[in-house]
Amino acid sequence: MRHFIIVGILVIATAALTYFGLTAVGLMPVEASVQSLAIDWLFNYEIIAISFLFALIVVPLFYSLIVFRRRKGETGEGEYFEGNTPLEIGWTVAPLIVVIAFAYMGTYSLGEVRRVDPNAMEIKVTGFQWNWRFEYPEYGVTSNELHLPVNRQVVLKMESIDVLHSFFVPEFRMKQDVVPGRVTEYRVTPSLIGDYKVRCAEMCGTSHAYMGAPVIVSSAQDFDAWIKLQNAPADPVANGQKIIATNGCLGCHTIDGAKLVGPTWKGLYGKQETLADGSTITVDDAYLAESIVNPTAKIVQGYPPVMPPFNLKDQEIADVIAYLATLK
Amino acid sequence: MKRFFSSALMRGLFWQFIGTLVGAGLVTAIRAAMGLSVTDKFFFTEPAWVLGAFFGVLFFMVGTGVTSDWIKWARGIDPPEHHEERFQGWEKYVNISLDHKVIGVQYAITSLALICIGGLFALIFRTELAQSQLQFLTTDLSLFGQNGPQLYNTLMSLHGMIMIVSILLGIASAMNYVIPLMLGAQDMSFPRLNAFSFWIAVPAAILLLMSLVLGGFDTGWTGYPPLSARAPVGMQMFFLGVFTAGWSSILGALNIIVTVVRMRAKGMTAFRMPIFVWAAIATSIISLTATQLIGLSFQMVMFQRLFGMGFFDPGKGGNPILFQHLFWFYSHPAVYVFVLPGLGIISELLPVFVRKPLFGYRWIAMSSMAIALVGFVVWAHHMFTSGMNEYLRVPFMYSTLLVAVPTGVKFFSWIATIWKGKITTPTPMLFVLAGIVAFLMGGLSGPPNATVSVDLHLHDTYMIVGHFHDTIFGGFVFPFFAALYFWFPKATGRRMNETLGKLHFWLMTPAFFVLTLGMMRIGLLGMRRRIVDYDPAMGFDSTHMVLTIAAFLIALAVLIFLYNFFNSIKNGEKAEGNVWNSRSPEWQVPSPMPAHNYDQPFEVVGEPYDYGLAGSKYVEFIKSEKSAHN
Amino acid sequence: MSHTQDKSSAFQQGIVIFVYLAALTALEYFVAVVFTAIPILVLIAFIKVALVMYYYMHIYKLNEESDSDRDSYSYKTGSNRFGLWLFLLSDAFVFGGLLVSRINLLGFTRPPLNQTLGLAVTAVLLLSSFFMNRGETAMAHGDKKGFVVNTMITLALGLGFLLGVVAVEWPNAAREGLTASGNVAGGIFYMMTGMHAFHVFTGLIFLGIILNNNRKGVYSAEKHWGVEAAAVYWHFVDLVWIFFYPALYLIGKLL
Ligand code: HEA
Ligand code: HEA
Ligand code: HEC
Ligand code: CUA
Ligand SMILES: [Cu+2]
Repeated sequence: MRHFIIVGILVIATAALTYFGLTAVGLMPVEASVQSLAIDWLFNYEIIAISFLFALIVVPLFYSLIVFRRRKGETGEGEYFEGNTPLEIGWTVAPLIVVIAFAYMGTYSLGEVRRVDPNAMEIKVTGFQWNWRFEYPEYGVTSNELHLPVNRQVVLKMESIDVLHSFFVPEFRMKQDVVPGRVTEYRVTPSLIGDYKVRCAEMCGTSHAYMGAPVIVSSAQDFDAWIKLQNAPADPVANGQKIIATNGCLGCHTIDGAKLVGPTWKGLYGKQETLADGSTITVDDAYLAESIVNPTAKIVQGYPPVMPPFNLKDQEIADVIAYLATLK
Repeated sequence: MKRFFSSALMRGLFWQFIGTLVGAGLVTAIRAAMGLSVTDKFFFTEPAWVLGAFFGVLFFMVGTGVTSDWIKWARGIDPPEHHEERFQGWEKYVNISLDHKVIGVQYAITSLALICIGGLFALIFRTELAQSQLQFLTTDLSLFGQNGPQLYNTLMSLHGMIMIVSILLGIASAMNYVIPLMLGAQDMSFPRLNAFSFWIAVPAAILLLMSLVLGGFDTGWTGYPPLSARAPVGMQMFFLGVFTAGWSSILGALNIIVTVVRMRAKGMTAFRMPIFVWAAIATSIISLTATQLIGLSFQMVMFQRLFGMGFFDPGKGGNPILFQHLFWFYSHPAVYVFVLPGLGIISELLPVFVRKPLFGYRWIAMSSMAIALVGFVVWAHHMFTSGMNEYLRVPFMYSTLLVAVPTGVKFFSWIATIWKGKITTPTPMLFVLAGIVAFLMGGLSGPPNATVSVDLHLHDTYMIVGHFHDTIFGGFVFPFFAALYFWFPKATGRRMNETLGKLHFWLMTPAFFVLTLGMMRIGLLGMRRRIVDYDPAMGFDSTHMVLTIAAFLIALAVLIFLYNFFNSIKNGEKAEGNVWNSRSPEWQVPSPMPAHNYDQPFEVVGEPYDYGLAGSKYVEFIKSEKSAHN
Repeated sequence: MSHTQDKSSAFQQGIVIFVYLAALTALEYFVAVVFTAIPILVLIAFIKVALVMYYYMHIYKLNEESDSDRDSYSYKTGSNRFGLWLFLLSDAFVFGGLLVSRINLLGFTRPPLNQTLGLAVTAVLLLSSFFMNRGETAMAHGDKKGFVVNTMITLALGLGFLLGVVAVEWPNAAREGLTASGNVAGGIFYMMTGMHAFHVFTGLIFLGIILNNNRKGVYSAEKHWGVEAAAVYWHFVDLVWIFFYPALYLIGKLL
């Protein structure tokens, strides 16, 4: 009996220490979304349960090791008892109840996380190797940065054009894979103004580690101001540069003469290009436009035919070409 | 030396080389005849490498001679029933043997070799991770056709899969060596199949390693398409390697089940089997059936790459998520394949060192079965964020959490076993205890992953990495070391050095806890897995440095173990009796075990774990004119 | 029906079962053509599988008490039989996986295939199972000649099935526009039939081996595990086709 009392006290003490220790360290990043509250709420209870169960096993284990160790010169065997069915049933049923409780809480928490606001702003997200593009259909804006107004639910409709990616913002506590051939959904209500980062969380190849984009949560006014700025007409070259950035061209091309997957653009405009079949061609507007819309039509010598076709509007193509022409 | 080069192992490797050339040459010739390209970045084209790899495996198997008895059978010649050991000493282990004990040792050595290779890879990429930014795996690097980040991905992915294969071989080694001894059988039911199961793992390992030099691959061990449909040729070698290793697992499991059902000693009823046998049965049920599905999923990607079949290609109406279902249908139950034998070893060894009966034997036996069976219906918890049908997430959360219940039964029963024992702590017991604590931490970090909303945050972070290193170390690595220290005397008649064993333990255990707790810590803060570089702004640099140091300490501990292991074979203290004072039948006869196991058959006359019950006996040798074999 | 009989009633039973199977296949085809009732098709498939497993593959033998002498032929055969069934169980998971993939990818649609050809190869395979059963029964009763004749027929029919699928149905489907690299329906069709054909091919090799071994006098009425194994394996291949045939040819709307 004495043993049980001591162990019981120790278990509770250890559990409490573990729990407070863990929470004192601070386990999670800041809570920057409404959804993170429901998640952290559940996680907190899980940490309590884990601390307790950890103590419940480890304390009797170490206690036995110390108290029931074989002392020098001792012979003989341990106390003989083979089992105890009520006890076994007890420690089957008790965890079962705990587990069902957690499953129930998990369902509730998931419901909170997925709670739909009918006024949510829709944003179209495209993931590709190795960048993100965000389109705001409401405002006709496309960007490489995700700007969000605080305290308004947004729903991201996400798609991939190549392989799997995953949209992950640790401060929002959520991630969702981005899958080619289907649209996945990510609902978040940012609750804290600040700068965060989307980080791709699904292995997507060589530069997976670097596939990120800024997430800027700002006040409604700042958000509107940003939208205005985006809508302001830009000059073709600047616009071309932006299109290049939002389409991930720089994953394969450089503007400084270095060779990546594709040829560099430095000095491209107007030069004589040798094609895979040995013929040469002058790089003019028509060739460039074709190279973008239908890249496999003419393959540059020494390069694999891996560039995907890009579906750009005529104006956008013109802007890109205008930009390319500046790269001397 | 000369005898080494003419061993079955070397013959096999030679023939694998030839087979690869023949297969690849064949495809190349056909392609040439059809006017297709014949060479590629890695000399042969992809189809040529694939057929080459396949032929390599076939040639290896035939070249070693494991299949020759079957070929004789097929030709109507009856090969001799009992094979006498043709080799002595170390030569036994590099040649074909049908003795389950030899095969068990072969498995163990191969497993250790793979742990070292996989661990070496971990050390390489951990060194890169010690600081943010790229240090030596830079974009300028070019090795085996890969730049630094790509090489990181390859090393990381291979680390995962090689370690997993090494686990599969590790548990096979324990099951092979111990189970027939525990059952009182002369050997496994199908000794030739047993040898086949072991030997096919060797070319499989070679294929896995080949993927490193053939351009590598960058998908992680999970090989998700569409990325895996685009990766370099190395991907195919990886697929084929795993596919081949899968056969080792399937056939080994088949053999175990038949052996347990058909070869038990007289009086050994289901609930009088040693508890490890139950664990082996539960494990084997999973390996036997589920393994086929990882094979199938990999085969489908292989074919998608070779023949353009669009299973996982959305452009052709395929579905990338289907792959994940097929893959995890095996790969989740597989994690219980990793741990159930380990937990069985824990249950097996605890009573010996506590000198008390195993508390709740039947409950522990049944909990293994429950874990295995429930394990079949939880696979989609790896896919909570995958974009699969959303309503599936809740039932899979429930089923996943359910696994905690039978696992808990084990833990509570272990604690009740230890309670009021007379505990001693030689090296094997230390590893058992550390295994319990480590697995507890790993197990308890499971339920948070299982609750969907929390997993939205945890998925694909180092929290998961920490979770599974904990469960794997607790459920496999520590128990495996315990088993090696424990049964070493049975195999060699000598003991491993106790001081070095303790040093190994006290070096590895703290380092391991630092490693996995550190992983979980940064994972919760948002450190993603499978990245070669992390944002310095996240402030993980110092933790990562600590993790890397811990990794090197583990490696040092493993090196000490290896020295101790190989040194003790020759120079260890003699230990031919029942060193641990165990009741298990194999310890009732002198070590090392004779070639045909027991000279006299035994009969089970009592419960296996009645330590402390005066006058009780588990087995009794039958003293009759008719001895076990002749 | 019981399963311990003399030779002629064993043969007779084989015929009766074959008639059942043939009638069920015809019914299946009829149901599929007239109204698309998938539950009925599934039910029929399961009835067929039960018949094949019990009467052709004699699964009940797993339960047979064997000799207590572990070195005896009958004890070893018992172990072998158990091992073989475990292998088939394992293999069934591959085919199960393929079926699941087919349902996941195509749902209630099916690829455009030649119905007549499908029914023809199915009939051939079913017939081969019938002769396999006769061959094995003959051997069990010491009738070596009956064994050889029936097994030869099985081999010929099996070859016919294999060629029917690989050399006739495949090119035919390809002409109709169903190619492996085209739509995913083509991919899954070639994968399923290909994996099945591969098993038929290995089954044929086993048949060749037992014929050759018989020539060398390896088998007797009492000791013919090899024959039994090859036969059970052959029926298993048939059993897989019992599911694959409706899955590919009968279920769902035409794509
Ligand atoms: C050895 C292997 C092993 C084991 C045993 C486990 C055990 C468990 N695992 Fe783990 N897991 C892996 C290896 C393993 N896992 C690997 C390798 C991955 C990553 C794969 C990859 O993506 O690469 C993974 C990933 C993984 C995920 C996916 C995470 C993600 O990617 O998003 C999940 C989610 O549910 C999960 C859950 C669990 C659970 C609930 C258990 C349970 O079985 C744990 C049960 C044990 C206990 C709970 C402790 C003891 C019980 C008690 C003391 C009783 C009382 C307890 C309660 C009431 C809670 N695991
Ligand atoms: C058995 C399973 C197992 C084991 C034992 C280990 C052991 C270790 N693992 Fe890992 N690990 C996995 C299974 C395992 N791992 C899996 C499945 C993954 C997932 C992969 C994926 O995401 O796809 C993973 C991923 C993984 C990651 C995440 C990588 C990423 O996501 O980017 C990390 C990072 O630190 C890591 C580290 C380690 C370390 C430091 C060890 C250390 O314990 C290693 C210690 C070293 C040794 C045991 C070797 C010692 C021996 C020598 C040094 C001698 C060498 C000499 C000779 C060759 C003779 N592992
Ligand atoms: C996946 C890598 C990849 C991406 C992304 C990519 N390209 Fe390319 N690109 C290539 C490769 C490889 C070539 C050379 C082969 C060829 O001609 O198709 C190429 C060729 C070109 C050429 C012709 C260059 C020459 O030297 O003649 C132009 C122009 C071009 N790309 C523009 C773009 C633009 C604009 C984008 C983004 C909207 C883009 N590329 C995105 C890989 C890529
Ligand atoms: Cu995109 Cu990782
Ligand atoms: Cu899992």
